[in-house]
Amino acid sequence: MRYAEPETVEEGVTLLASTEHSRCIAGGATLVAMMNAGHIAPAMLVSLHRMRELFTLTESAEGLWIGAMTPHRVVAAETRLRGSMGVVRSAAGQLAHPSIRNMGTIGGSVCLADPSTEMPVALVAASARVEIAGPNGRRIVPIEDALVDRFKTSLGRGEIVTRILIPRGVEGAVGHHLRFSRVAGDYPTVSISLTLSMQGDRCVHARVVVGSCGPVPLHVTAADQRLIHSVLGEDDVAAAGQLLASAASPLDDVRGSAEYRRMLIPRLLGRALSQARELAHV
Amino acid sequence: MSDKISLSLRVNGASHALSVAPERTLLEVLREELRHTGTKRGCDQGSCGACMVLVDGEPVFSCLSLAVTLRDREITTIEAVEAGNELHPIQRALVQHGAVQCGFCIPGIVITAKALLDRNPHPTVDEIRHALGSNTCRCSGYARIVEAIASLTGERP
Repeated sequence: MRYAEPETVEEGVTLLASTEHSRCIAGGATLVAMMNAGHIAPAMLVSLHRMRELFTLTESAEGLWIGAMTPHRVVAAETRLRGSMGVVRSAAGQLAHPSIRNMGTIGGSVCLADPSTEMPVALVAASARVEIAGPNGRRIVPIEDALVDRFKTSLGRGEIVTRILIPRGVEGAVGHHLRFSRVAGDYPTVSISLTLSMQGDRCVHARVVVGSCGPVPLHVTAADQRLIHSVLGEDDVAAAGQLLASAASPLDDVRGSAEYRRMLIPRLLGRALSQARELAHV
Repeated sequence: MSDKISLSLRVNGASHALSVAPERTLLEVLREELRHTGTKRGCDQGSCGACMVLVDGEPVFSCLSLAVTLRDREITTIEAVEAGNELHPIQRALVQHGAVQCGFCIPGIVITAKALLDRNPHPTVDEIRHALGSNTCRCSGYARIVEAIASLTGERP
């Protein structure tokens, strides 16, 4: 195996594009585990550790740009992620354990595209955008376009995720992430990320995304629509939850059967909405 | 095995000039090159925490860290926790509470607990449990481990 530590993204792109079976290494939490297990044996590893731009956080009028190499620990402590952007902070703080949060990075989570982890769900709820550098320059795509299937992204050969934009979102909205797992720190059986805005007791904005229930984070516009203009009563939550549960395509696994996961969705949705309302003090 | 890369690793305050293949993990380098065998090899998957070390004061799995990526970082292993043949207070508390059984998980637990208490000298019991979430112990059932660490903070589990 060859190994390189380029200092610029452009050098990294050239290396990745020119070598078959090459991989980027960010935090290593998943990649090295896969190498240890013999699942992958890259011909070349391109380390992102020396690319300084990937570690920067930049606030702009649009929102907060988070460098791809930012560890989850730093995202979880980032106070600029407030309002609806707080959904990303909330998810980062609940993901796995402190030692994984010290290693895993936000860019690594995007590239892994594991539908049962926290970050993709939260990024879809936050309507995040991803900057990707490649042989033809840079492009910015909605997170939904980057995540195409279980462990599969739309990134082509030679492409590197450089940073992620968390847009400011709706004025006055709050963001929240709720996970249900067998034990704290395990992969969630089901998770819900949402952004919510209330006027009085009426919902004026809702964007609800479900994790661990399909190949990519599950977002159903009709479920959001069912909540907007409602008072988030039991019937409203049940109806929106039913829309999400019907659209879900969860797997049976050791953390829960597909049927169990579908049953959890409306219950967790109700809990997530009431917790978000507490955050919004309405 | 790949071509080796020359690098210097800073472990427990000392610099070590090494030549290692890029796929070698910090765990392998610590145990096999530096003979720091206090750090244990368990699952190699970041699931058991037996290999925990501190990198710049934060607990990380040495089994998931490639040694070549850790140049310029401050690495602390269990060998540096004891001072002058005196057990660290965390180690003493674990012994006093009967929390140490086969002992395989204990270096990782001591390292993780040290990182927690260094940053937060008065964690709640929930915070202790959460911080130790990455560390598996197959003997004790965890109760005495948590009791031992809580005894250092004035908390009662």
